[in-house]
Amino acid sequence: MSFISLVLIAGLFGFLVLQSVPILAEQKWDFLLGRDWWAGEVYGALPMIYGSCMVTGVASLLVLPLALGGAIFTSEFLSAKQRLWVKAMMELFAGITGIIYGLLGVALMAGWVKDSFGLIDGNTILTAGLLLGIMILPTILTLAEDALHAVPGCYRDTSLSLGLTKLQMIKSAVIPQALPGIAGAIFLGLGRAMGETIAVMLVIGGLDKIADPWYDLFAPAQSIASKLGREAAEAIGSGLQWSALMALGLVLFFMVMFLTMVGNLFLKRVR
Amino acid sequence: MGASTGNANEPLVRISVVGSTTVLPIATRTAEQFVKNSNGEVSITVNGGGSGVGIQSAGSGRADIGMASREITPREKKRFQTPGLRTYVVGRDAVACVISSEVYSSGVHALSKEQIGDIYLGKIKNWKKVGGPDREIVVIDKEAHRGTRHVFMQYVFGNERARAPGARLVIGSNNEEQAKISQSDSAIGLLSIAWMNDDVVGVGIRQAGEIIEPTLENVRNNRFPISRNLNLVIAGEPRGKVKEFVDYIMSPQGQKIVAESGFIPIHPN
Amino acid sequence: MSQSDPLEKFVRGLLGVLTLLAITLLVVIFGIVFWKGAPVIDWEFLTQASSNFGASGGILYQLAGTVILMAGAVAVSLPVALGTALFQTEYLKSDRLKKLFRNLIYSLNGMPTILFGLVGYMIFGVYLKAGVSWLTGTLILAVMILPTLQVSFQQAVEALPEKYRDAGMALGLSPTAMVYSVIIPQSVFGIITGVLLGLARAAGETAAIMFTATTFSGILLPQTWTDPVPTLQTHILVLAQEALNPQAVAHAWGAGLVLLSLTFILVAGALFCRSKMQMESER
Repeated sequence: MSFISLVLIAGLFGFLVLQSVPILAEQKWDFLLGRDWWAGEVYGALPMIYGSCMVTGVASLLVLPLALGGAIFTSEFLSAKQRLWVKAMMELFAGITGIIYGLLGVALMAGWVKDSFGLIDGNTILTAGLLLGIMILPTILTLAEDALHAVPGCYRDTSLSLGLTKLQMIKSAVIPQALPGIAGAIFLGLGRAMGETIAVMLVIGGLDKIADPWYDLFAPAQSIASKLGREAAEAIGSGLQWSALMALGLVLFFMVMFLTMVGNLFLKRVR
Repeated sequence: MGASTGNANEPLVRISVVGSTTVLPIATRTAEQFVKNSNGEVSITVNGGGSGVGIQSAGSGRADIGMASREITPREKKRFQTPGLRTYVVGRDAVACVISSEVYSSGVHALSKEQIGDIYLGKIKNWKKVGGPDREIVVIDKEAHRGTRHVFMQYVFGNERARAPGARLVIGSNNEEQAKISQSDSAIGLLSIAWMNDDVVGVGIRQAGEIIEPTLENVRNNRFPISRNLNLVIAGEPRGKVKEFVDYIMSPQGQKIVAESGFIPIHPN
Repeated sequence: MSQSDPLEKFVRGLLGVLTLLAITLLVVIFGIVFWKGAPVIDWEFLTQASSNFGASGGILYQLAGTVILMAGAVAVSLPVALGTALFQTEYLKSDRLKKLFRNLIYSLNGMPTILFGLVGYMIFGVYLKAGVSWLTGTLILAVMILPTLQVSFQQAVEALPEKYRDAGMALGLSPTAMVYSVIIPQSVFGIITGVLLGLARAAGETAAIMFTATTFSGILLPQTWTDPVPTLQTHILVLAQEALNPQAVAHAWGAGLVLLSLTFILVAGALFCRSKMQMESER
């Protein structure tokens, strides 16, 4: 019975690998490093890998101050009852699914980004990053808060009895102890952001190109998940294009698996 | 996988139709009528996805009928040579080069094939180069398998799979394209003429010294250079209710619906 | 101490502001959906079929489709998750294995759902010939929410006070009998929590079902195993792209609010159940 999860993950992985064989045999390293994706001719995954990393990176940068600040405040300065309310709210908001964010993105966020920054169009890396950031905010906040709260009281008592102020105590006693848990929270949040399809697909622009310069957040792009979301129906089942899409899925599998495993590794101290 | 036919106890027949968002309104509206006329014997699901998805679905058996606003490519023909794809023309349509209404009212009323090509190649980046306002052009491209794009690129570059390095956005359905162009005030795109409206205006094509407007009239008399058949694609010989449905769309009642949807019926009379 | 007071106050204030911002941001999200969606929702909206490509009518069958997929997913996943959770807590003794399985289940939880959709379609839809159907969608979703259910169940069973097990053993119950007559009944709150969370997670999922289970038009309620269903999620997806038609967009917001409310109610229910569970275990 328990082997079910093992079977499922192994099955998913194995399936992706098998389906990727044709394209990898055909293009080998050019698949990962190629900057050009044109169905029927060439399949280069680099723009999508770039897109996934960029939007995830933007999301985490934008959300970290809010998530971490919120976690510290909730854990150290709020009463037990207030803390439970915050955590309940965060769990509630963590349940908001991608399509809602997608709707917000298409109907509001894209226009808002376009107008605020005077762009010619609002479907950009920044727009997708903003949406993803808000999406992973509750998750990172609540997990980081768990990590901070789990630091045993003796650390706090010792610091305070040594004459440290509350802030100094947090900075030098609590946070260092909670660091693995906080790192874990961030990695898990990143993993979730990287795997999100719908919200990104609608606002990222769909352009299979690495922006020029690469840090231009106002450029349109394509993440792996959004590429799969848009193109899978076209090629489903067979052919070199399908193999290429499966190989893209395999890359995503590895990237998210890495983030999730590292995150869990850090978090196991807390759980 | 043909339409799931019922037995004597369960006469419900399911027909699945997938593909081009241009043909979708025709399929949906005729399906509604056909289902009504059939007294609950038939149920028809209609979904978008684009011409490529339509042909793929019909060929692989995922759907009973594929909708395509372009012809089947040699690559697709080869891929699905068993059992072989058949095409049934249900109407005619044109693809217009559309621009934001703000640009149109600033004076850009027509473009030549070369100008359109240069814009999509990224050689022309500003509207002022073609007689419009001083604004960067937002070049909107479509997913490569879309029928509308195939037909457009065939006209502009002579190659239905031409690349457009000047593109800023790549979107999917006709609806999405229409929405994006109306949301912008400096956009250019490619769209079925049935989707043109006040915000999304089709430019005339400047060719051999004259300007040909994207109107139904010009499509009827074959003056407009970017026109196409609207097709239903079926794997093998259509049978039973599927055949009846196709026949219905090609009948006078069906063709009336085609005309009402903004296209040209196959037997215009 | 007194020198750092202003700095202390400042940093504390800053942290408070950040927290407030975080909460406000999320409340605003809900507020926008409510503000844009509420005007559209009335009895007709909830009880009529959609028409005119979604711009008129209601969302009755979309709501039904979403519920069918959710409920089906939980129905399939529940026995598996419960069995696995019980196995790991009652029968499995090796710590190493426990850790391994824990890591696996958390990894499964983090998987991008689009991958489930793609691979799931190939396996259930193509090889097992279920096609694009509500059954395919249900099976894929069941796999997806398995970790959510299992983790909840495991927490519930592990939190069970020892006294129940002691009482069972004193009565001479075998491990299996103990499971059926002591552990499951006493973990009811935990099981319900898991079920509600699983339902919430399946409710909003779009990527896994968008080309494996759904149709935009042509079906009201599925009549056979192989029929696709309309769902709220894909309905919103299609309508959201019709920015030119304010009616359609308004309906998208309305459907979004219904979906959001559904998820909220389920999660709130789960939180309530979990607090009850914690109260029980503290007795």
